[in-house]
Amino acid sequence: MKKIWTVIKREYISHVRTKAFIISTVLGPVFMLAITVLPVIMAVSGKGEKSTLAVVDGTGVLQADFAGELAKFKMGDGSEKYTVVPVAPEADADAQKSELGRGVMSGKYSGYLYIPADALSEGTAEYASRQTSDFNQIETLSHTLSDVVVGKRLKAEGLNPDKISAYTKPVKMDTVKVSEKGRERDTGGSFIVTFVLVMVLYMTMFMYGAMILRGVLEEKTNRVVEVVLSSLRPFQLMMGKILGIALVGLTQYAIWALFGYFLTQYGGSIVGSIAPGAKASGFAMASIPPYVFVYFVVFFILGYLLYATLYAAVGSASNNEKEAQQMLFPVTMCLIVPILMMQYVMRSPNSSLSVILSMIPFFAPILMLQRISIVLPPLTQVLGSIVLMILTTVGMVWLSAKIYRVGILMYGKKPSIPEIVKWIRYK
Amino acid sequence: MNYAVEMEHVSKKFGAFTAVKDLSLKIPRGAVFGLLGPNGAGKTTSIRMMLDIIIPDEGKIGILGRAMNEAMKSKIGYLPEDRGLYPKMKVGEVLEFLAEIKGVPRSAAPAALDKWLAKFELAEWKDKKVEQLSKGMQQKIQFIATVVHDPELIILDEPFGGLDPVNTKLLKDVMLELRADGKTIVFSTHRMEQVEMICDDICLINKGEAVLRGRLQDIKKEYGKNTVVLEYEGSIDFLKGNPDIEKIDDYGRAAEIRLKEKADPQEILKILAGRVRVAKFEIQEPSLNAIFIEKVGRSEQ
Repeated sequence: MKKIWTVIKREYISHVRTKAFIISTVLGPVFMLAITVLPVIMAVSGKGEKSTLAVVDGTGVLQADFAGELAKFKMGDGSEKYTVVPVAPEADADAQKSELGRGVMSGKYSGYLYIPADALSEGTAEYASRQTSDFNQIETLSHTLSDVVVGKRLKAEGLNPDKISAYTKPVKMDTVKVSEKGRERDTGGSFIVTFVLVMVLYMTMFMYGAMILRGVLEEKTNRVVEVVLSSLRPFQLMMGKILGIALVGLTQYAIWALFGYFLTQYGGSIVGSIAPGAKASGFAMASIPPYVFVYFVVFFILGYLLYATLYAAVGSASNNEKEAQQMLFPVTMCLIVPILMMQYVMRSPNSSLSVILSMIPFFAPILMLQRISIVLPPLTQVLGSIVLMILTTVGMVWLSAKIYRVGILMYGKKPSIPEIVKWIRYK
Repeated sequence: MNYAVEMEHVSKKFGAFTAVKDLSLKIPRGAVFGLLGPNGAGKTTSIRMMLDIIIPDEGKIGILGRAMNEAMKSKIGYLPEDRGLYPKMKVGEVLEFLAEIKGVPRSAAPAALDKWLAKFELAEWKDKKVEQLSKGMQQKIQFIATVVHDPELIILDEPFGGLDPVNTKLLKDVMLELRADGKTIVFSTHRMEQVEMICDDICLINKGEAVLRGRLQDIKKEYGKNTVVLEYEGSIDFLKGNPDIEKIDDYGRAAEIRLKEKADPQEILKILAGRVRVAKFEIQEPSLNAIFIEKVGRSEQ
């Protein structure tokens, strides 16, 4: 036991000191901050550039209304975003378009909008600019023009556009989650929390699994493993490595969780101080029941252990990263299948397919946790999947230890499946 | 039961391949024991079984008079043939880690490794990363890792592989010092001249089986004084086919000539004298190299 502890300590210290660990630990929060704060800042201040738009109105009746609508778009400082320059239509449309095109090229206009004479019935307008990548702006122009044209058409039929838009107003609908706590409004918060929890689990199994694989391979290819094995049993080395890297992961999560807590407490005021224009969004989150987090920890630990042993076995059996990647295929599949099934389980969490998939130990960490966070399944299913996972993990630790013990000292060609089966049978 | 290592009828198979077959060995305490054999003879497998890294299919192994167990591992020092350390760790840390898993208490480790680092003149490298050291220095660090926990039994797999002459001498001297301290040293090699310099007992294995074993002096005596070691200038091709000669190992400027029983070395000297310049002509026991080639060569046929 003392030897395992020594191995754990070495693993932990040597990983925590690497640049990769320090960078990813620091960049994690920076990334978190970026994805929470940046969109708000961009939404508030990102209004694009000012545009000078030449408008040729072939119909002669749209120009004023169109310019009026566009004047409603403002920049951050309150000035108008669009400057409309009316241009009288000429007989030769193509010649006029070429002329305007030259104006765009010279920088006189940032673009021109050509509205043909038959725009009110069926004609196609044309917008030209040096850059046609600002979809927002194109959409704005297209919508504004459409609204103005539709308004004109309705008026021509003797209808009141304002009334029409009042009549065709869509009905709003709130989503309410009913749980033991009663009724709560939910605008997608519980979906996002589920998604984040499951993704954290998935990333953990992927990232730290790969870390174990590389560590085992490193010891094998550096040939340091034989000296170590003259002092302790292969099982002690394997478990020491798995537990040491688990501590590395937990350290990283603890730092991130602390930062996440800080962000939720003070995030609003940070956004507020950077972009005063930002208002609280209408985003409401149903409260997450605490048992979800308890189960998260349980499935986190079990899922990590289950996959860690598989990664260790694969690492010990292969000679280099390339071989390891090939042998890893079945393990990777076991991780990807539940991700592919997530959407299905999200929609029908209690269908028999969802129940069966979430009971399979290799899928359970992701799918059962997902089901738990949507709506708590019957306790028998939850406990059943936990018991199955514990049994499988114990079995996998035993099996991986057998493969590891032989594989770690085998150099040369890539072992086949029958060979690995033979290793397991060795005394 | 005063043996450092005692193997009784030990066999190990890997699939269809028999690595070690019915091997019995008794290595006395305090001896320097050479485990000899060509590449692939089963030396490393035998050593790994002594160390409990792999488990024999059949037979029993006793270490220092007892059956192998976890606690015994701290009394053994092992230098594997394929050497390696953690390249990103500092020299001092690697040695502390390896000492600690050998059961050296944290408080005692620094003093022990400082003593050895000083002996090998590596003290100023203690805080450097392993990867910054030259190959030769890494080899010395690895040897320190083998002995830092003051083991009773030291097992070295091809210890001289890749060492320059200066370091070979240094290592040999340390090995003899350790023997003087009463430690048992087992080492494997296929380089016979090193064995002759320091071994008390040897076992020659080929294809997993022991083909020759015992005290080095006894073995040589058994082969008798019928070998001529010759240094010369010219060509000795004319000796081929001579009825008195059993075998010639010709190295170009030197040769080892095995005579047939009852042949007179003086006759050979007479033949040589007229035709090549003889720089050295010595009658002695056969070299271990010649015995090795003969034993291994014979079983090949």
